[in-house]
Amino acid sequence: MHSLQPNKLTIDNLAFERNNQFLFREINFALQAGDLLQVRGANGSGKSTLLRMLAGFIEPQGGTILWQDKSICQHRDAYQQQLHYLGHHNGIKHSLTVYENLQLHAALMTNKPEPNHLKTAIKQVDLTHVSHTQAIHLSAGQLRRLGLARLLLHPIPLWILDEPTTALDADGQALLGHLLKQHLTNGGMAIIATHQTLAILHNTKTIYLGEQHV
Amino acid sequence: MFSSLFTIMRHEILMTMRQAFSWLTPLLFFVIVVCLFPLALGPDTDLLNKVAPAIIWVAALLAILMSIGNIFRSDAEEGYLDLLLLSPVPLTLLVLCKVFSHWMTNCLPLILISPLLGLLLHLNAHEEYALIITLLLGTPVLSLLGAIGAALIVGIRGHGLLLPILIMPLYIPVLIFGTGTMMAANANLPINGYFAIMGALILLSLASAPLLTGLALRIGVNQ
Repeated sequence: MHSLQPNKLTIDNLAFERNNQFLFREINFALQAGDLLQVRGANGSGKSTLLRMLAGFIEPQGGTILWQDKSICQHRDAYQQQLHYLGHHNGIKHSLTVYENLQLHAALMTNKPEPNHLKTAIKQVDLTHVSHTQAIHLSAGQLRRLGLARLLLHPIPLWILDEPTTALDADGQALLGHLLKQHLTNGGMAIIATHQTLAILHNTKTIYLGEQHV
Repeated sequence: MFSSLFTIMRHEILMTMRQAFSWLTPLLFFVIVVCLFPLALGPDTDLLNKVAPAIIWVAALLAILMSIGNIFRSDAEEGYLDLLLLSPVPLTLLVLCKVFSHWMTNCLPLILISPLLGLLLHLNAHEEYALIITLLLGTPVLSLLGAIGAALIVGIRGHGLLLPILIMPLYIPVLIFGTGTMMAANANLPINGYFAIMGALILLSLASAPLLTGLALRIGVNQ
């Protein structure tokens, strides 16, 4: 994996309002190359909403998100090319095989990968034995692993992962830890919504959403 | 970029072909609806010949409406839509890719089987010719316009009959010119002018629909 350029993500006073109630507000943090941000909070505290906002899908109702000191609302297309988003659904097409899914994702990233490159990614997440099985026959954990394989196709600075540990077994969680560590060491950054403490690196920041921590 | 688009299109078509019901259902629906009319109207050759354009066009329109509503549904459910929005490939082109593969898998089979149904309704050779050309020119417009509606309802659960209500009014010009061409063919009038108007409809929807669909998708994923 190549080293990534130094990048900077700054969040200032971010707020989201639904039905005249703040789901969250006054969210502030700054991330630099090699940083990991954990977003924690109870169910319904707005973790997924915050992550989708950071991925540029939802416009913030208050506050700013700056990537390299530029507002992501004004430079959305350029910003969105700098991030991988892995949501509750993995973005996996169920009627395609594991291999075809990765081919499709590479095409979406305008990447023309060598077949070996795809096979390596599949091997890294330990799905080689099912690489020609349609995704509909995979278990939830295997789908999640395939979602992770997607992150490995192309080095991209910012990973936004929404509860990536869900459905993963112990091996899978160790794998996720390993991949994150590799990504951060290479100068990437990651934002993760999680209920579990990930013991990964020293430069981990944590923010809490929800009433009890305001 | 173009090799990417080619790969995406190939996979889109592959996905549809693997789920046979998704392209067979509209086709069978089309065939069955058209076959119902001779049964209901009786063996009156002149009458069937007269109402044939209306029957075939309305049936085709309903069949396409049925399939286009699902063009983004599984994408939204599987989280694939997010990836389309994040992709460096312009969303307009991705939409165009998806619409084209919809047309290939859902409209082309209708067009291929329509001459057979034309025989059933006693169309002569000239009318058959007009039927095939108008369907070839009209169905891309139906796919393109339908995609706008499908994108608008992508974030709404249990939308039921919302799509036909949104999209049917936009289908009216295609219906008018499609059936108009066939009536002109029936009366042995020149029909090239009609073809030109339908070609213009394709260009108009080609220029506007993918863009609008993309905008609607960006709003839709927010829900």
